[in-house]
Amino acid sequence: MKACKGWHLATIGALMMATSVGTQAAEISFLTHWGPDTVALLDAAIDKYEAANAGDTITVRAVPFGDLLTTLRTSGGGAGGATIAGIYDAWLPDLVRDSLVSAAPEAVASDTTTNWPTGVVSAASVGGSLYGIPNEIDVYALNYNKRLFEEAGIAEAPKTWDEFLAAAEKLTDASKGQQGFGLINSWAAGVLHPFASLLVSNGGDLIVDGKPVLDSQAAKETFELYEKLITSGFSDPAMATADANTTGPFLDNFVSGKTGMIIMANWWESALKAGMGDAFTDIATAPIPVGPSGDTARSISYSWMTVVNAQAAPEEQEAAWKFLSWLNGPDSGENGASAMGDILMSMGILPSRTSDVAAFGDRLSSDPFLLGYTQTLSDAKPFPVVLGGQEFSESLQQTLEALQFGQVTAADAQANAQADATEILERNAK
Amino acid sequence: MTGRQTRSTIGMLAPATGLIAIFVLVPMVLTIGLSFTQWSTQTGFETASFVGLANFADLLGPTSIGRDFRAAFANTAIYTALSVVLILPLSVMLGLLVHQTFAPGGILLRTVLFSSYMVPMIAVALVWSKLYSPTEGPINQMLGWVGIPPQTWLSSPRTALVSIVLLNVWQQVGYFTVLAVAGLTQIPRSLYEAALVDGASAWMQFWRITLPLLRNTLLFSAVIAVINAVQVFEPVALITQGGPVNSTNVMTYHIRRVGIERAQGGLGSAMAVTLMLSLIVVIVLLFTLLRDRGEQR
Repeated sequence: MKACKGWHLATIGALMMATSVGTQAAEISFLTHWGPDTVALLDAAIDKYEAANAGDTITVRAVPFGDLLTTLRTSGGGAGGATIAGIYDAWLPDLVRDSLVSAAPEAVASDTTTNWPTGVVSAASVGGSLYGIPNEIDVYALNYNKRLFEEAGIAEAPKTWDEFLAAAEKLTDASKGQQGFGLINSWAAGVLHPFASLLVSNGGDLIVDGKPVLDSQAAKETFELYEKLITSGFSDPAMATADANTTGPFLDNFVSGKTGMIIMANWWESALKAGMGDAFTDIATAPIPVGPSGDTARSISYSWMTVVNAQAAPEEQEAAWKFLSWLNGPDSGENGASAMGDILMSMGILPSRTSDVAAFGDRLSSDPFLLGYTQTLSDAKPFPVVLGGQEFSESLQQTLEALQFGQVTAADAQANAQADATEILERNAK
Repeated sequence: MTGRQTRSTIGMLAPATGLIAIFVLVPMVLTIGLSFTQWSTQTGFETASFVGLANFADLLGPTSIGRDFRAAFANTAIYTALSVVLILPLSVMLGLLVHQTFAPGGILLRTVLFSSYMVPMIAVALVWSKLYSPTEGPINQMLGWVGIPPQTWLSSPRTALVSIVLLNVWQQVGYFTVLAVAGLTQIPRSLYEAALVDGASAWMQFWRITLPLLRNTLLFSAVIAVINAVQVFEPVALITQGGPVNSTNVMTYHIRRVGIERAQGGLGSAMAVTLMLSLIVVIVLLFTLLRDRGEQR
């Protein structure tokens, strides 16, 4: 253990040296979408870092998730933009194309390649170059209300789509304003990711080799599942609205026990705890039910990373990479975890650094809420990272919302989704 | 005018016109120029490549670009029309209530009405998004007391845009009431006294004196209301994100989404130019319409 610790220190020392040659004291900023409680933890880590690195000053700028990309694009392109930003991996190719983010220095890239799983590193890379240090990894699981399950006489979480529909039917009670399964609308990722998770759990994919494959049999069955949920009244789209903070009626309905099941990511834990208080113990998680064309429970996965502004001054970029190396390194947190790992776990978010996964092993394997996610992690499929990913997501969101509100049939939705995705990806790839 | 006078006039006008040129005309001309290019908003202008009318063709085409643009354009037109149609009569009605001297409370009513205009939109959005909540919102609870079933408000594509319009009317009507009151104070009392002598009822006085003499005020109010409505952005960005099913995706929000989030600067500029031209047409029509009515009279 001591040898391991010594190796970590040597690595960090080398990284510090590699990134601090000629480094001057710098004022840098960190743009994030985290809430106040999490920002407070980041501030505490920054205080610790600043105490050991006199001269470097780091300030945190927090914006709602819905404004993060816009803030990054409007202020990130200039030297006055945030030096560091936490971004969603699907945005990376477009940000690299527009020269908004800088490639990681060799030492950082080497350390990241060594200490993170290959799939996560590839999601933070474009054209073979690493652009960010990965932090959180998110997968999707079925969240369900055990109290409502018990009242409806359902013994366990559904494992197949047939069991899922049967449970949704039993949980639906219009007289109480209660729906079996909660859909989401007005939030691109909130609409798309649960659909994509059901699709991959049915053996399908969104995009393969840069081309959309929404015309598959697996996709057809997934669109039809949505149509059935709506036409049978098991899901009420009027209870599904989200707002700019990714909260709103869809969250209110789940925390107040008016929604029996929902498919959501692991970061959702902190929102549920805040909304439910003691009633949070009613919530359990399970892997996504397997569809008729699927072989095992799957989810899509996506990751977040911290990137550095390519337009920032060289000394600011150096200071930013030095800070990020420390923040994500194994000596900044408790018991061999990184400070970033501590911050992520406070929100119920799965860390991606291998040593963080080991440091939090006990909690990850014993936390009943995270269990449904950790069970899915090894079979998760990364959400496709392509040029035009945001436009693709928003387009599919509109199609799925039109299906939710009965404006199109499942067949039309599938045809529209495939046609639009093909046009969008071809145009953006040019 | 002598040469010295001309130079003096130019010298005095230069600061104001120069600022207008730099901050209004230059961006307008740039936007028009960029609308004929393919350009990422994250790169310098030198990277823009000329594509002719391709961006405008895309706006009219069958792809998701055209469909989303036309939906946003239609939403903006509906939002604008409904806002103006509701705000103007309400402002005149409330203006008459504030201006009258038969009953007390006019100044209090004016203060209450104008206060809604002073509340920041972020606060309005937060409060109204909760008021509109379909399951737990106070509005649906109050409707339930009088036997009206819960409404979907922001949660359905059928009602979301109208719900945003109602929010806008609530916030803006106080400002337009103050404009109406200003117009009412300009009407000479002697006209009403003469009408009373002639036996005109209050209804006749309103149609024959008040409304015609408020014409200029109403024209100004209509122009401002149209411009404000076309520029709607905050409630959409803060509450609905353009949804559900694009039902509240208005032009400014859509241009932000395309031009900034997706960095498609050329396409976003083409949308902005189309919006600007449409606004000019509407304003010119408004002036023509109200001026013609005045001449007929």
